[in-house]
Amino acid sequence: MKNFFKDVRKHLLSGVSYMMPMVVAGGVILAISLLSAESTSKGMVPHGEIMQFLNTLGKAGLGMMIPVFAAYIAYSIAGRPGLAPGFLLGFVANNSVIISSREVKTGFLGALVLGLAVGYFVKWMKGIKVSTTIRSIMPILIIPIASVLVIGLAYYFLIGIPISYLMNGITTLMGNLQGGSKYLFAAVIGIFGELDFGGPVTKSVSMFTLALINEGNYFPNGLFRITVAVPPIGILISTIIAKNKYTQEERNDAKAAGILGFFGITEGAIPFAVKDWKTVMPSSIIGCIAGSIIGAIGNVTVPVPHGGLIVLPVVGNKLWFVVAIISGSMVTALMLKLLKKDVVQEELLVEDQKIN
Amino acid sequence: MKIVGVTACPTGIAHTYMAQAGLEKECKKRGFTVKIETQGSMGSENELSEQEIREADVVILAVDITIEGQDRFDNKLVLEVNVGKAVTHPEQVIDQAIKLVESNK
Repeated sequence: MKNFFKDVRKHLLSGVSYMMPMVVAGGVILAISLLSAESTSKGMVPHGEIMQFLNTLGKAGLGMMIPVFAAYIAYSIAGRPGLAPGFLLGFVANNSVIISSREVKTGFLGALVLGLAVGYFVKWMKGIKVSTTIRSIMPILIIPIASVLVIGLAYYFLIGIPISYLMNGITTLMGNLQGGSKYLFAAVIGIFGELDFGGPVTKSVSMFTLALINEGNYFPNGLFRITVAVPPIGILISTIIAKNKYTQEERNDAKAAGILGFFGITEGAIPFAVKDWKTVMPSSIIGCIAGSIIGAIGNVTVPVPHGGLIVLPVVGNKLWFVVAIISGSMVTALMLKLLKKDVVQEELLVEDQKIN
Repeated sequence: MKIVGVTACPTGIAHTYMAQAGLEKECKKRGFTVKIETQGSMGSENELSEQEIREADVVILAVDITIEGQDRFDNKLVLEVNVGKAVTHPEQVIDQAIKLVESNK
């Protein structure tokens, strides 16, 4: 059972990894098209024909992200025959369909369930022993039609409505975050956002905020994308304000980590966390909470699944975004200064000799 | 000892290459021949040749996602670990690989 869940996680992450570039391209181009947009009663209207075209390009990217996600989950499970049914069912999840005279659209969550379901179904079908004549038409005829029909009808009769309830519930809840619950939510994002510096926990948070991007809510992603930059930049600052706590080698590594942090890559913090997790982890978590809460005060929104200062052009409430990252990093740096022990003098001596 | 491997993480920009560096460094420290293929967001790089795979004593897959060309390793000794493990504790991964080779002699 444990292995099964491990496999499922692997398939979901495969889906995410293929979807990522699609969302980045779509999200950034969409944001560019809205830079000069006019706010009207029909929402934001892009200014001029070329911007309207960019708007179409961007929306195409975001529209494709869900089918691509479902398709590559199925591909990861079943290989090539999983692709077509995955694309098709993912497309259906991302569009409104009428089930028992109710409009059902399940988006990211639906695509996740359908991708897994159709992937395992196709994998099972591939294993069926058939005569050689039928064998040749299995991948081209029988598998695509049967898998789409079976899983598609299961969506209609069984799983479509419950998933849409769940998805609507989450979306409404997130849309109505206010006052205390808003800051509590920000704190939770701060705690889990970079708990493992870009590892599985981070990726789960990232999937959650991605799902809400697809529903048009960029706020949770905004908070998460602040935390992405905090640990590595915090470490860089701490090596500057507390030189005696780091060896020369660590100070050099911190520069690389800081640059990575600027580009929204947290992983540069890992070497520091590995060496001294008892001080680095709490410092990083507290800094992330601070950054995330400041981001919540300023209602920061980020429409693309990437973070750090590099995404600044497409961020909503830019100043707050920058302030949140810098303050969060400062908190991390000060915590590190407080918690970390001085580097033992001998190590420094040895290093000095090396340098000389 | 000859070791080949593949690293792959979901985003494919950092962990993948850090795991590669970790494994290579650890192997070189022990005097092993090593080649690690990366399947990051640029696709496969530093690809393993058929001969390299055939000659290897053990294959290390440090992967969090499904990789391309898994079938290349069908008849090999394969150790599969999370990418994170190869980034933070490459020495343990290599230890495990050695153990696997010895228990299959």
